[in-house]
Amino acid sequence: MRAWILGFCWLFLCACETEVTDFKTQNLSSAIVVSGEMSSLAGPYTVRLNYTSAYSPFDVTEFQGQVIPGADVKILDETGASISLRETQKGVYQTPASFVGQVGKKYKVRILTINGKLIESTLDELKAPLPLSTFSYAFKNAEKVENMRFDLRASLQDKKGSEDFYFIKRQDFIQFLTTCPEPPPPPAPVPVCDCKCWQAPQNTQPILISDFLLDGTSIPLALKPVDYQDLTDVVVQLNVYTVSKEAYMFWKRQEEQRTLGGGLFDKVPAQIIGNLRSVNDPGQQVVGYFLVGGLHRQRLKIDRFNGIPEETNRKLGFYVDFNNIRYKDFPLWDCRKAAWIPYNLGFNLPPM
Amino acid sequence: MRAILFILLFCLPLSAWAQKNGYVILSGRVTDLETKAPLEGANVLFSGLSIGAKTDSTGRFSLTLPARTYQVVVRSLGYKFKLERLELTKSMDISVALQRAEQLLDEVVITAEKADANVNRTIMGVEKMSSKTLKKLPNLMGEADVIRSIMLLPGVSTIGEGASGFNVRGGNVDQNLVLLDGVPLFNTSHLFGFFTGFNADMVQDLSLFKGGIPSMYGGRASSVLDVRLKEGNVEKWGVEGGVGPISSRLLFDGPLIKGKTSLIVGARGSLSDFYMKYFPNPALAKSKADFYDVNLKLTHRFGKNQRISFSAYVSNDGFKFASDTLYSWNTKVFSIKHNALIGTKISHNFTAFMSDYAYGIEGLKQGVEFIWRPSIIQKSVKEDLSWDINPKNRLDLGFEFSAFQNDAGSFLPNAAGSAIEKFPMTTENSQEMSAYVGHSMRLSNKISLDYGLRYAMYQLLGPLDFYGYKSGTPRAFNTLKDTTSYASGSVIQTYGGFEPRLSLAFKVDTSLSIKGGFTRMQQFRHLLSNTMAISPVDVWKNANPYLPQQIADQYSLGIFKNFTNDQNAVFETSLEVYYKNLKNVVDYIDGAALYLNPTVETELLVGKGRAYGAELFLKKARGIRLTGWVSYTYARTFRQIEANAEQAAANFGLEFPANFDTPHTFKFVLNNRFTKRISFNANFTYMSGRPITYPNGRYKLYAYNELLDYANANGIFPRPGLTPTTYKYGGSTNTYLVGSTITQVLDGYSSPSFTLRNEERIPFYMRMDIGITVEPKAGKKWQGSWNFSIYNVLARQNAYSLFFRSSTGLINQARTYQLSILGAAIPSITYNFKF
Repeated sequence: MRAWILGFCWLFLCACETEVTDFKTQNLSSAIVVSGEMSSLAGPYTVRLNYTSAYSPFDVTEFQGQVIPGADVKILDETGASISLRETQKGVYQTPASFVGQVGKKYKVRILTINGKLIESTLDELKAPLPLSTFSYAFKNAEKVENMRFDLRASLQDKKGSEDFYFIKRQDFIQFLTTCPEPPPPPAPVPVCDCKCWQAPQNTQPILISDFLLDGTSIPLALKPVDYQDLTDVVVQLNVYTVSKEAYMFWKRQEEQRTLGGGLFDKVPAQIIGNLRSVNDPGQQVVGYFLVGGLHRQRLKIDRFNGIPEETNRKLGFYVDFNNIRYKDFPLWDCRKAAWIPYNLGFNLPPM
Repeated sequence: MRAILFILLFCLPLSAWAQKNGYVILSGRVTDLETKAPLEGANVLFSGLSIGAKTDSTGRFSLTLPARTYQVVVRSLGYKFKLERLELTKSMDISVALQRAEQLLDEVVITAEKADANVNRTIMGVEKMSSKTLKKLPNLMGEADVIRSIMLLPGVSTIGEGASGFNVRGGNVDQNLVLLDGVPLFNTSHLFGFFTGFNADMVQDLSLFKGGIPSMYGGRASSVLDVRLKEGNVEKWGVEGGVGPISSRLLFDGPLIKGKTSLIVGARGSLSDFYMKYFPNPALAKSKADFYDVNLKLTHRFGKNQRISFSAYVSNDGFKFASDTLYSWNTKVFSIKHNALIGTKISHNFTAFMSDYAYGIEGLKQGVEFIWRPSIIQKSVKEDLSWDINPKNRLDLGFEFSAFQNDAGSFLPNAAGSAIEKFPMTTENSQEMSAYVGHSMRLSNKISLDYGLRYAMYQLLGPLDFYGYKSGTPRAFNTLKDTTSYASGSVIQTYGGFEPRLSLAFKVDTSLSIKGGFTRMQQFRHLLSNTMAISPVDVWKNANPYLPQQIADQYSLGIFKNFTNDQNAVFETSLEVYYKNLKNVVDYIDGAALYLNPTVETELLVGKGRAYGAELFLKKARGIRLTGWVSYTYARTFRQIEANAEQAAANFGLEFPANFDTPHTFKFVLNNRFTKRISFNANFTYMSGRPITYPNGRYKLYAYNELLDYANANGIFPRPGLTPTTYKYGGSTNTYLVGSTITQVLDGYSSPSFTLRNEERIPFYMRMDIGITVEPKAGKKWQGSWNFSIYNVLARQNAYSLFFRSSTGLINQARTYQLSILGAAIPSITYNFKF
C-alpha cells in the first residue's frame, strides 16, 4: 500500500515547472505605453509616456522603457473643456494641484507626441466613490512568531441595482526601529537617537472586485494579513476606485496574464489593449490605460503592542533579537539615514 | 421533401438494375465455436472474386454471387480462419463456427480488417483497430486507452500531454464525431484528458475516418471515430477484469436466456480518492480526482435474423483541489436498437437514443456556495438501411432526426445562506434532420466508386430572446440595439446543405491501388474554448445568425501498396495527401470571456481555415513475431479571421497557425512476440513543437506612482543616507556603512507585450513507451495476465508550454518558465483476469 501511495505521489511530481534562463526575444514593438489616472480626490494627476522595452528578464534597467518627452498632454471633459499637463520630468506629465475631477463628469486624455501621433482615451465617467463599510483587524496568536498575524477585514456595501466595479490599491506603511549606537563616554553629552521611521514597501498588486452575482451585498475584500515581527505600528491604506467595466476588465486580463501557469486551461496570451488608441495612425499600437475613477482613501492603524498577551510579547522579543529585525549591526542615531531600507520615508507618513 | 424525392429517384434505377438473373444468394451466420456467440465483422472471402462480405452485429452476412464453385475463407480477428469448398448452384444459407486462436503461435494481426483491405477498399483515410491491438500497446499507468491509441496513428495529434480530445488533419477537437455504439459523445475524457472516458475492455473494435467519410456519418466537420462495443455471450457466463494503479475494472457477460438473450456489463472506477487521503499535504488530502464509467448492453435475438438491444453508458468525473471548487462532468447515454435482415439482401438498423452531457462547477466556500451546471441533451432516432444489390453494388440509405436542448447553465446559490444571487442563462432548443444515400459500386475489376450525398438541415428554435446589434460596427456590449423574443417552436435560424462524398479507387494490381476522394462535412454545434486545451467545462454553443455552421471540404489522394515476404508477412504501405478548406471556423477576441455571458457572440469571431498534409505509413499488419507500424506525417493547419462590418480581426487579419499545428510527426509502434505467452511492445512519437505566442517586449504600467511623486515633490527623495558595504581583510569579511544617496526607482506593473499570434514554437515533443505482456497459460480456467509498462521511458521533460510570468512588487522581473506534464518515466503494472 505504501509503495502505491508513493508511486502516486511520484506521478504528481512528474509535472514540473522549470525556469528558462536564456529566453530572450527582440523588442520588435514600437507600441506607446500610456499610464495615467485621475480621480475625485485632489491631484496632481500624473500621466507617464513610454515605449515598450525589450523582454530582458535580468536587466533591470531595461524595464523602464524609453520615455516620450515633449508631448502635449491634456485632460478633456465631455464639454470639451481641457486642462494641460506640465512635463515635470522627461515623459512625466502632471496636472496643476488645483485641478480636481468632478463626480458624474466624463473625462479623457489627449496626447500629441512631438512626432505627431495623436492619442486619445475613451470618454469615461468619473463615478461616485464608495467608502469601505468595514475596515478592522484582529490579532491571531500562534505557537511560532512566524505564524502570528493580524488578520484584516474590509468590505464594501455594494449599491443595489447597478453593475459596479472596483479597483483597489493597498499601500502599507510600516514603522521600523533601528538600533542606537553606544553613547559616547561621559562627560560627552548623549546625542538624541531617532530610531523610529516609516517605510512604505511598494505594492503593485491590484485588488479587483465586481458585484457580478453579488449585487447590493456586502462584498469582502481579500487582504493579506500583517506580520507580527516587531512592536511598532503598521498603517494599511486602501485606495478604493469605483471604475468602469472596461477598466476592471483591463486589469483583470492583466492579472490573468501575469499569473499564467502555462497549464492546460490557461487562456492563450495576447496583447491587452486598454482604452487608448492613436487617432491619426491606426497602425500605431497604444497600450496602457487612462483610469478615471471615484476614489475613496482610508487608513487603518494596527497597534502591534497594546492588547497583545505578555507571553506573546516575550516570544517576539527573542524573535526580534535572533533575526536582527532592528539592524543591530548598523547602529544609527537617525533612522532616516538607513538607505538599505526601500522606501524609507523618514519620521512622517504622507498626508491623506 | 426535395431531398427525399431526390433520394427516391436516385435509388429507383439501381433497384431495377438489381433484378438481373444469373446470380444466387448466399447468406449465412458466423459464430464462435465454443460460445455460439455471433461474430460481428467476420470476413467471408471467395476465390476468384475481389469482393467479400462482412458479418453484421448478428453474425449474419448475405451477398449475391455468380453460381459456381468457390473456395470460401471465413476469418475473424482472434480466430482460426476456416477454408471450405462450396458448390453454389442455388441460393443457400450456411453456418460457420470459428475456433479461437489465442493459444496458437500463428500470425499476429494488428488490424481489424482482412488482408489487403487497405488496397481493396474504395475509401481512403480510414484506420481500424481491434480491441486486441488496443490492449497490446504500451500504456500510461496500465490503462489500455482508446484515444491514446489512436494518437499513434498518422494524422492524429494532440495539443499536449493530458489534453482532452484529439485533432485530426488540422481539425479542432470538437470537430471529431466520437460514436460509442452509434451514439455521439460530447466529452470523451476522464481526469481532464489523461484517460478516455470509456472502458477499453468493452470495445470490440474502432474505426477512425479521417478522409473518406461514408455518407451515413455527419454532424462534425473533421473526422469520425466509430467505436463498437462488445455483446454478451449467449452461451455461458464469463468474468474479466483488471487491477491497475489508476483504476480497477470488472466486466461480466453471459446469457439471460441461453442462446437468445445476453447481458454484458462493464464498470471501471478510479482509486485516486482512496490515495488522496493518505497525502501528508492537507490541500491534497482534501482534494478529489475520481471517475467511473459503466456500460451495459442487453441483447435479445428473435430467430436468426433479428435482434433488439438496449444499451446504457454512464460516465462521471469529479475534481476538486483543496476545498473550494468542485469541477464535474458526466455523460448518460441510453439507446435502443433493432437490427434485422429483411430477406437476404437488406439489413435494417433502427436506433433511438438519448445522450445527456452535463458539466459545471460547484462552489463550496461557505457563504458564497454556488452551482453552475450547463448541459446538452440530444434525443435522436435514426434508420440505416443497407442493400446488397449484387456483388458489385451496395446501396446505403437512411435518415436521422435529432432534437437538442442546450442549457447554458444558470448560476445559482447552492445553500440557504449563500450571498450569491441567481444569474439566469438561456436554454436553447434546436433540431437537426439529415438523410443520406450512398452507393458503393465496382465499375470494373480495376475501378471502384463510392459516392453518396447527405443532406443536413439545422434549425434553431424558440423560445429565445435574441439580441440584435447595430449594423456596420463590430458586435460589442455597447452596440446592443434590441432584443427579439421568439415564441416556443418558432424558427430563429435555419442552416443546411448537401454534403457530397466521393471516393474513387483504381486498382493497378492486387497489391497496388490509387485513390482519390472528396468529402464535405457540416457542423452546427461548436465548443467554445479559448484556453490552451479543451476544458471539461467549456460550453457548447448552437449555430445562430451570428455563428453559422462550420463547413469542411477535404480533397485527398493516396497510393496504397502491399508487399508480402516468404513468411507470408504482410507489409502495408501508403502515402496519402490531403487539402482541407474550412469555412466559418470559430475564433475569439483576445481574452474573451465565454462563461456566463448572455452576449457571448460579442466575444466570438468567425473566419476561415485551411489544412494540408501528407501521411506516409508502413505497417507490418501480420507476422509470426513482429508486427507494428512506422509513420511520418507532414501537416499544417492555419486560421484567418478578417475584420468585417460585424467583427474585428484577430491577429491583424493575418493568417496564423492553429494552436495544434505540428508540421512534422514521426511515430512507430512495435510488437514483438518472444514466446507464446510473452510479448514486448514499444512505441515512439516525435512531434514538432506546437505554436505559441511569445512576447516581443514588455512594458510597465505606472499605476502606483503616488508615493514616489509625493516623496520627490517633498524632498524626501533624494536625500543623503548610509549604505552597508563590505571589505575583506585577513580572510574575514567586514561590513560597515558608507555615505550614499537615498533614492527610489519607480517600479510599475510589469506586463509582457505580444504582437503576432502563434509565431513561435515550443521545443519538440519526443516520447517512447515500452511494455511487456505476459499472457495466461493455455487451458486454465482462471486466465490471469500481466502487463508491465514504462511510459516515457526516456524520462524526457517534454515542454507542454512556455509561459511568461512576473511578480508584483518592487523591480518586477520578467520570468520565463517551461511546464512539463508527466516529465518522468512512469512504470506501471496491471493484472488482468478472466474466467
